Amino acid sequence: MHIPDGYLGPATCGFFYAVMLPIWALASKIVKKTLKAKQVPLLAIGSAFSFVIMMFNVPIPGGSTGHAVGGVLVAILLGPWAATIAITVALVVQALLFGDGGITAIGANCFNMAFVLPFVGYYVYRLISAGSTVGSSRRVVAAGIGAYLGINMAALCAGIEFGLQPLFHHTAIGQALYCPYGLNVAVPAMLGGHLLVFGWVEVLVTALVVKYLQKQSPELLQSQEAAQ
Amino acid sequence: MPNNNFIERSILETLSFFRESVFADEYAARDGFLQRRNARQKTIASLLLLTGVLFARNLYLLSAIYIFVLGLAVLSRINLWFFLKRTWIFIPLFSLFIALPALFSFFSPGEPVLILPIGQIKLVMTKPGLMAAGFFVARVVTSVSITVLLALTTRHNELLKGLRVLRVPQMFVMILGMCYRYIYLFAEVVENTYLAIKSRVGGHVRQRAGRKIVAWSIASLWQRSYALNTQVYNAMLSRGYRGEPKVLEEESK
Repeated sequence: MHIPDGYLGPATCGFFYAVMLPIWALASKIVKKTLKAKQVPLLAIGSAFSFVIMMFNVPIPGGSTGHAVGGVLVAILLGPWAATIAITVALVVQALLFGDGGITAIGANCFNMAFVLPFVGYYVYRLISAGSTVGSSRRVVAAGIGAYLGINMAALCAGIEFGLQPLFHHTAIGQALYCPYGLNVAVPAMLGGHLLVFGWVEVLVTALVVKYLQKQSPELLQSQEAAQ
Repeated sequence: MPNNNFIERSILETLSFFRESVFADEYAARDGFLQRRNARQKTIASLLLLTGVLFARNLYLLSAIYIFVLGLAVLSRINLWFFLKRTWIFIPLFSLFIALPALFSFFSPGEPVLILPIGQIKLVMTKPGLMAAGFFVARVVTSVSITVLLALTTRHNELLKGLRVLRVPQMFVMILGMCYRYIYLFAEVVENTYLAIKSRVGGHVRQRAGRKIVAWSIASLWQRSYALNTQVYNAMLSRGYRGEPKVLEEESK
């Protein structure tokens, strides 16, 4: 879902940088307030964690493998605002040092994966698990549903961003200059894969990790809830 | 059916991650044209070039920038074949693949250039289709090349510090730098985890069990990270951290 340079036109890139600036500022402010001084390195460690989650390959039916993005998981563990910062940092490192995801598209990528994904996932998780004990199986289900909705919402956003390009940027004769497909192609293409395959990998990984932490160190699931 | 390719694949991925980094370090240490420039200048120049590519509405201009970037790579003593491989795989090739349908009249109606008869159906390649696909792929490959060239010819920690010139807050730059350091530590943990899985389960893991093992490894990595946090914070305190990051280097430049 990392949008490379060249897929989005200047107006879209600029728009998402403008949207993300206040979100980043607000996230820094809230995180400074809620995170204890002791947890500052946690943001860096959380970023590195969300970076390497993608290196964990998971077997999926049909003998193939996939990997999770882990944004919702990071939001459950760190809270949505800290997740926004941690995932942004991971995305910047990926774009700048490893050429994964565009630099001009950092605003759009961060909007999809560091804002929409963790926030949708986190609040769905909180809503479904409201009032449950930390060890309840409702939390595992909530984490799974949150992960599924979070990643699909992000994919939908990416699909819409792609699909709007031919409308915004074209030559006088209607020839596309950036992503050449309209909404009717881009949205189903982005959403299809995520609804059918990648979304489920996300569900499995997020739910299983929450289940494991419930057994092994339930305090890690509560640490950020207490801070809010 | 034995299904341990997720183990092999993870091990290979982490290994190639380390290999790439070693290559990048090696190139950044060479005495080439771009390596001699300072990180801030290169960052600004790369951003200007990327903006140029973003706004370009002329295929000749895009090609000229691409050739210019390839020239810079050669001047910076980067093996051209390595550079082409590194930049074309995977994003531009993938983009070329998804641009293929846009070549034809059902997406890009217009003046036909080539008609491919396939059975009863005639696929009509059009001029606007060719232009749209050309613009798309040229823009993608040129942008990727600029970014990769910057990352290959600059030491990574200098590149991250160079972000301060763009008024990225010091706090973010510090987190970026720390994150970068931990990526390598964690990648090693991932590699060791999969090697350990491989050594214990041999050639056969059931899919279900495989998924559990992976999820548990991720969870245990988070447990370890959380514990690491306290140690890192104590280390920061012992070096004088009092809530605001301070940097010693580069003051004299």
